[in-house]
Amino acid sequence: MGLKTLDKITAALRSRPLELEQLRKEGKKVVGWLAYNIPEEIIYALGLIPIRVGQGGDGRLVEVGARHISTKNCVFVRQALGQFAEKTDPYIQQLDLVAIDATCIQLYRLEELINFYFEYKTVVLGVPRNFASKEGHEYFRKEVEFFTTKLEEFAGVTLEQSKLEKAISLYDGIREAIKSLYHYQSLDNAPLSWRDVSSVISAGYNLDRQNYLELLQELIAEVEENLTESPAGKEIEARIFLSGSLIPPGDTKLVDIIEQLGGRIVGDDLWSGLNFFLNLEIKESTPFGIADAYLDRVPHGSLPYLDLKSDGRLANLKHHLHEFGADGIIYHTLRYCDAFTFKAGETKDVLGKLPFLEIHTEYSGSDFEAIRTRVEAFIEMIKSKKEIAELV
Amino acid sequence: MSFIGNFFAGVDVGSLASKSVILKDGDIFATGLLKSGVNSVESGLSALNLALDAAGLKKEDLTYIVGTGYGRVSAPYANKAVTEITCHAKGANYLHPTVRTIIDMGGQDCKAIRIDEDGAVVDFAMNDKCAAGTGRFLEVMAEVFKVKLEDLGDIALSATDTVPMSSTCTVFAESETISLVARGEKPENILNGIHHSIANRIAGLFSRVGIASDVFFSGGVAKNTGMKSAIEQALKVTIVRPEIDPQLVGALGAAVIARSFAKKEGLWA
Ligand code: SF4
Repeated sequence: MGLKTLDKITAALRSRPLELEQLRKEGKKVVGWLAYNIPEEIIYALGLIPIRVGQGGDGRLVEVGARHISTKNCVFVRQALGQFAEKTDPYIQQLDLVAIDATCIQLYRLEELINFYFEYKTVVLGVPRNFASKEGHEYFRKEVEFFTTKLEEFAGVTLEQSKLEKAISLYDGIREAIKSLYHYQSLDNAPLSWRDVSSVISAGYNLDRQNYLELLQELIAEVEENLTESPAGKEIEARIFLSGSLIPPGDTKLVDIIEQLGGRIVGDDLWSGLNFFLNLEIKESTPFGIADAYLDRVPHGSLPYLDLKSDGRLANLKHHLHEFGADGIIYHTLRYCDAFTFKAGETKDVLGKLPFLEIHTEYSGSDFEAIRTRVEAFIEMIKSKKEIAELV
Repeated sequence: MSFIGNFFAGVDVGSLASKSVILKDGDIFATGLLKSGVNSVESGLSALNLALDAAGLKKEDLTYIVGTGYGRVSAPYANKAVTEITCHAKGANYLHPTVRTIIDMGGQDCKAIRIDEDGAVVDFAMNDKCAAGTGRFLEVMAEVFKVKLEDLGDIALSATDTVPMSSTCTVFAESETISLVARGEKPENILNGIHHSIANRIAGLFSRVGIASDVFFSGGVAKNTGMKSAIEQALKVTIVRPEIDPQLVGALGAAVIARSFAKKEGLWA
C-alpha cells in the first residue's frame, strides 16, 4: 500500500544475512528457535542473536524432509527438516545452536532428527501437558531454569538481571506494537492489510530485535498519519478470521485464494500470527517469572482443551472475532496436524452460528481448485447473508 | 416475437455432464443436458445451445447468464460465476421451499449443504478427495458388473442380503468386488453392500453440518433409487427428490441467481 516503512523493513531484511555473517565473524553467536514457547528474552539477554525458524508452502522442501521422517508428520515439520537438511537458507546457514520447545510432539521429533542426522547443536525446552496446574508450572519453571543454564554455558556468560529486564521491556514493546498493527489492519480506513502485518511478523523472525522495534514504532506512526476518512457506503465485504494450524512465512496458498476471491482477512488466532504476542505479562524479571508468564498466556493448540467453558484459547478466539468484526472463520488444518484437526469440531460447536469453514490441506498445489470452490462458496454464503434482503 | 428482458439462464459444467436451464420470468422454460467433453467452454456452450434450441431462443435473448460447476472458471459466455454449492441451494429452494438439507452427489464430488428458508447456504461440507460416493465410482461399478449405470440402483434394491464392502476407494473397491464375485456372492447383494457403504460415508459428511428436514437429493446420482434408499436408511430420513431431472438442480439454481442479479443490476424489473 506504499507505506515507506514497509519498504524499509524489506530493505533491512535484504541486508540481514550479510550482517549476521559479519556479526558471527566478530564472535557473536546465533540461536535459531522454534516454535511457540521459547523465551526469546533469555536468548537476547545473554547477548545471543535470536532467529525464529520455520517456514511453509514449499512442497519440494517437504519432500527433502520426508527422506528423514515419516510422511505421517505435518508438512510444517517436514519442511523445517528439509530446510535443516539442505542448509541453503541464508539464515539456517548462520545457526550456531537450535532451540526447540516440545509444545507439540512433532517439534520434539524434529529436534532429535536434526541433531542426529545433521549434527546441529540443539537444546530442548520441555512443555507440560497439564499447563494449568501447579505441578505444570513447577515443571516448566525447572525447564526454563535448565534452558537458561544451557544457554549460559553456550554463551559463556551468566544471565544478568539488568540485561534481562532490558530484554523484557524490548519484547514487551514488540508485542504491544504488533497488537496495535492488528488493530489498525482491521479498520476500514487503514492503509495496511492483514497480509502486510503478517509479512511484518515474518520480518521479525530475522531482524535485529532493537531495530525491529524501532521499525514497528515508525510503521505505527506512519499508519496513524495515513488513516483515511472512513469510506461511506462501502461494498459488502466478507470479513474472514483465520484459525487453526499455523500459516508460517512462505505459505500463501490459502491467503492468496481468499484474497483473489474478494474475501478480506481481518484477524487470526494463529500461533504464527497474533496469538504469539498476546497476554504475556512477565511479573517478575527472572527465569521463573518468565516461565509462569509463558505458561499463562493463550495456550498453544497442541495442548488439550481443558474445559470448553473456560479454555483460554476459545475465550481469546471469541474476543478477537468480536473485536475484528469477523463475519466468519476459516479454520485451516494441516494434514497430520492432529493437534488442530481434532479441535475443529469442538471449536465449531462452541462458536455456534458463526459461519465456519474447515480447510484441510498441505503444501502441495494439488488441492488448489478444491479449496477455491469451498472458499468461494463460503464467501458467497457470507455475502448473501449480508445482502439477503436484496437478493432473491 | 420479442423475448427481450425475460429470460435467464444457468449453465452448470460438471466433470461428467454439462447442464443448462432457461427461466422465463419465474418458470422453467427449457433445459439442456449432455456429456461434458474435455473443453469446458465448449461443453457449457453446447449445453446452453441445447436449451436455447429447445426454447427457440438466441443467446442474445437472454438477459443474464450465470455459470457454475467446476467449469465456471472458464465460462466466457456467462455474466457471472457462482459456485455449485450456492446454486444447488437456490435450485432446491426454488423447487421445494421447505428443503433445509441437500445431498448433492455429482460426477466427481459429493456435498452436504444446509440452507435456510430463503435458500441461502448456512453451512456445507464437501468430499472431493476421492471418488467414493460419486457418479464416477458408480460408473466403474456398472462396468465391473456389465450393467447399465441407470439400472444399478434397482438391481441393488432387489437384493436379498447385504454383502459388506470395506473399500470405498474406486481402485480397491473394484478388486474387492471381483474377489467377492469369485467367492460366489450374488451381484445384487454385492451392489447392495456398495450402496450402503457409500451411504455411510455420506452420513459422515453430515456429522459436521447436521441435518434437518426436508432433505433433498440432487446431482446425477440422485437418479439411483438404490442410493436414495440406502441414504434414507443411513441418515434415518425421508428424502424428497426433485420433479425435474436431479442433474439439473445446479443449473436451475444458477438461472434463479441470474434472475436475481438481473434484478439487482436493473436489467429486469
Ligand atoms: S502443532 Fe501442528 S503444525 Fe504445529 S508442529 Fe505440531 S503438528 Fe505441526
